[in-house]
Amino acid sequence: MPSDGRRRLFLGLPLVGVPSFPWLLALRYLRSARRDAYIRFLSTVAACGIAVGVAALILVLAALSGLHDKLLAQILAAVPHLEVSSPAVADRDEWARAASEAVRGVEGVESVHRIVRGQGWVMVDDLPLPVIIVGYDDLLPRSFPEATSRQPGLYLPQALARRWGVFPGDVLTVISPRSTLTPLGPAPRTRPLEVVGTFRSQAAQGGDRIAIPLSDARRLFGRSADVLEVSVTEGLDGAVAMAPEIAAVVPSAEVSTWRELNRSLYFVLRLEKVLLFLAVGLVVLVATLALVVDLALVVTSKRAEIGALGALGTSPRRLRHAFLLLGALLAAVGLVAGTALGITGAWAMDHFRLLSVPGQVMFVDHIPFQVTARDLTLVLGSTLALVLFAAWNGARRASALEPVEAMRR
Amino acid sequence: MTEERTPNPAEASGESKAPALRLRRVTKTFRDGERSVAVLRGVDLTLQAGETAAIVGPSGSGKSTLLHLLGGLDRPDPEGSGTEVNQGTGGSRGEAPVFEIFGRSLLDLDDEELADFRNRQLGFVFQFHQLLPDFDALENVMMPGRIAGLDAQKVHSDARRLLSEVGLEHRLDHFPSELSGGERQRVALCRALLLDPPLVLADEPTGNLDPASGEQVFARLTELVERRGATLVLVTHNPELADRCGRIFSLDQGVLTHNR
Repeated sequence: MPSDGRRRLFLGLPLVGVPSFPWLLALRYLRSARRDAYIRFLSTVAACGIAVGVAALILVLAALSGLHDKLLAQILAAVPHLEVSSPAVADRDEWARAASEAVRGVEGVESVHRIVRGQGWVMVDDLPLPVIIVGYDDLLPRSFPEATSRQPGLYLPQALARRWGVFPGDVLTVISPRSTLTPLGPAPRTRPLEVVGTFRSQAAQGGDRIAIPLSDARRLFGRSADVLEVSVTEGLDGAVAMAPEIAAVVPSAEVSTWRELNRSLYFVLRLEKVLLFLAVGLVVLVATLALVVDLALVVTSKRAEIGALGALGTSPRRLRHAFLLLGALLAAVGLVAGTALGITGAWAMDHFRLLSVPGQVMFVDHIPFQVTARDLTLVLGSTLALVLFAAWNGARRASALEPVEAMRR
Repeated sequence: MTEERTPNPAEASGESKAPALRLRRVTKTFRDGERSVAVLRGVDLTLQAGETAAIVGPSGSGKSTLLHLLGGLDRPDPEGSGTEVNQGTGGSRGEAPVFEIFGRSLLDLDDEELADFRNRQLGFVFQFHQLLPDFDALENVMMPGRIAGLDAQKVHSDARRLLSEVGLEHRLDHFPSELSGGERQRVALCRALLLDPPLVLADEPTGNLDPASGEQVFARLTELVERRGATLVLVTHNPELADRCGRIFSLDQGVLTHNR
């Protein structure tokens, strides 16, 4: 018999371990869908749309993750792990001394630096330039990395020193917004200070910062609030975990973690990611609509057969199951292709540095692409949810057909 | 198949004394907005297991509707639906309708149970074969077994044997589009009988065939049904075919009368 060889197989699978009925139907209809020109066209559009959408989502999120990672790495390398702000006390020196000692006593604390902050100006070429003035005690804290000296004096960011043409040994006048009453009336408080070194400039710190000795800062700002900058040995994550322990030893003070200090930056970065995800995700949404139409067309073209299957005893639940599988199979091609394309593309972009940017202007010389498990889960999860919605729509239509009505041609 | 035939569910469950079909005061009304058309007006029908019955009547008399009700493809009007019941049926006004197949009331089954009932207890032969074009002849015959989730190898060998019995052993891997009208109907016949259903419903099974093919299909149908001891309900316009059934009923304007 000519069909003997084939009869040992059913749908290409051995008779032992044959697919269940819903799988059988879904696989066969997938094959027949390729024979109908309209359905094939719509299936191709849906699969390509899903592939392009998924690949674009993976690439966009990978670029943002890479950029954010670099940006945060640079910023967080120079932010205090924790800050302890002084409460309103009469003797600030005594509070700072006692609090520093108490915080140093907590296990895992690496260093504690006392600082004060204020806003003011630096006179450069007879022009007052606005800056954030940080008064430091003894040594520059962690938030001023790569200091070129250990002497007490005025420290400027590298970029600022370059821009202003200022070198160590130059004397600059630092001006405070506070005034002092003189016989000629109120006059701003000023301090001429010698530039002793520079530190690495930081982006997104809310303005240019300069560092001056605490004693000079006191003269400029008077009784401003003291802050303790705390560094811990366990890094950024350790700092967040240690915050309650440190707060416990300085009960009247306010303890802020690096995460809280950079909340707005985090918000902006996250917002950027969410908005881009939604915008690019529209491609997947449109592709899913094509899948909805595609499945509706399959159900319409198979109407009489669905009716016959119902008459043979296929329950609505199993018909739904079969068409859900069919929708998933139609989308799977696009989903797999898109994921492969996105991951490979991101790797190539990163490895071969295909998107270069001017390193002098930006903080990187190429756009780094980083595919994270979280981004991938988000893309695949949301795409799968949309695909299942589309498939459910088709499955519901198929299972709602009355066999008698459906069989009428 | 004959040698290995398993007793039908009615026999197996010890319900052999229950009639194959017992219908009392069954009505069916189609409603379209304000308008309603009473297609069946109090049908009474009792058939014993193994009987063959023909239902004849003019077009639009409700024959197919009655067959669809018997096949669980549609539901009769519920009790107290207000449809006027033919007073010649013997029942009294207000009496609840009865719709039992092998002692089991179809009125109580939900969609899933009804689907299972159709799969295991009924065999359908339609006027237009209703074969699945994406499956070949053997796969079409296997379909009720696959739906039931039975052992694929047994279903496969049963389907093959059935197709051989109707002379289609050389057409196993042919798709419906590659078969003649008579061959398609013989495949549909095999599909209806694959699971040895105790009740076979045939709706004009030869209505779309030339006389020679029609005769061949009908002969096979009655032969296979009788060999299995199944009950056959045949809807037909053809008086010759009806005459070859044990009992004849005629349906006119929704009222069923017993002719023989």
